[in-house]
Amino acid sequence: MQDLYQQESARLLGVAKRIARDNALAEDIVHDAFIKIWTRAASFDPARGSARGWIFIVTRHLALNFIRDNAREVQVSEHSEMALHDLASMQTSSGNVDSFDYRARSGRIYVCLEQLEPARRNCILHAYVDGYSHSQISQKLGTPLGTVKAWIKRSLVVLRECMG
Amino acid sequence: MTRSPEGESPDNIDELASEYVLGTLPAEQRIKIKKRLAQDADLQTAVDAWEQRLLALTELAEPQPPSALLWRRIERSVNSTDRRASGVAATAKPTSWWNLLPLWRGLAGTSLVATLLLGSILLTRTAVVNPTTYLVVLVAPQNQAPGWVIQASNPREIQLIPLEVAQVPADKVLQFWTKADGWQAPVSLGLVKPGQTFSVPLDNLPPLEPNQLFELTLENPNGSQTGKPTGPIQFIGRAVKVI
Repeated sequence: MQDLYQQESARLLGVAKRIARDNALAEDIVHDAFIKIWTRAASFDPARGSARGWIFIVTRHLALNFIRDNAREVQVSEHSEMALHDLASMQTSSGNVDSFDYRARSGRIYVCLEQLEPARRNCILHAYVDGYSHSQISQKLGTPLGTVKAWIKRSLVVLRECMG
Repeated sequence: MTRSPEGESPDNIDELASEYVLGTLPAEQRIKIKKRLAQDADLQTAVDAWEQRLLALTELAEPQPPSALLWRRIERSVNSTDRRASGVAATAKPTSWWNLLPLWRGLAGTSLVATLLLGSILLTRTAVVNPTTYLVVLVAPQNQAPGWVIQASNPREIQLIPLEVAQVPADKVLQFWTKADGWQAPVSLGLVKPGQTFSVPLDNLPPLEPNQLFELTLENPNGSQTGKPTGPIQFIGRAVKVI
């Protein structure tokens, strides 16, 4: 387990920090993830993926649980949504420029992400990497909430078909 | 997006799994799915497949070197888990959840985090707060979602305050229990209605202690017949002294 820690702790902490947005909290999450892995190691089923993948998955979900449970999110009202929409049409940049440097990566998912429009790609990446909720993405991109939900839904179907 | 678990098409299951893995589902739906995963093999398979599809995206978060303390902390926790595991193994499988130290320690840790967070929210939000001496955040064991707070402004009385309306099956009630470290067995503090504040005079008990355990279990309508908790824990937490 120490090997796993030495190899992966910095990247795990990166994943947790990005979602939890707090150093101490991210360390708590990585700590909990290792304990969870340790106490459940017996139940680990290699058929379901690699052990290395498992701890990333556990860490990410612990971080997501934490922010979803603790964030009392301010929903975007219809009014502000329209304002956002207007704002977005003025600053078209947010929708057409990639927020993530995903191109230099290898892996099937990156090839499939290419098939999405930049704005939809950003939705997927903000959700997965930043742990943003639908409404946070809507605020971030200045796109109406309903549009964001529909984009994500359809993008996931596209990714599913592309990746098999 | 809420659907009944029955009559779902494979597409629906896959859609649910994909949004669960992506992380965009709201807290309540995440909790529901987590519960379902244990029994629903189709959903579990769909979730596993999505985890593998999207896993490479974790590379996009910049690595961050951990502090020197983190590994030591993990090591300490693992060692104490091990010692307990060997002790528990000797008494064979049907160990009551009450004696599952890993559960308590894990919960104590997470509830401490929740406590500090909630404590700071309470302190910053309220202009005049009574000098609370103890605070307990009761969290759900499965997902650590905080459900109740216990405030003890004086050591003779405690108040159990709901953070949300707990869901209780029609034929069950919530029973409130406490146990300090030195006590032989937990003591019932009474039956609690979901969503309602509950005050308990602690006249017949010793004063509150740091680390004292509180929990709500699901019991039959008139409460546990044995005088000890028998049903599953719904919420659990330990007392933390507030300075």
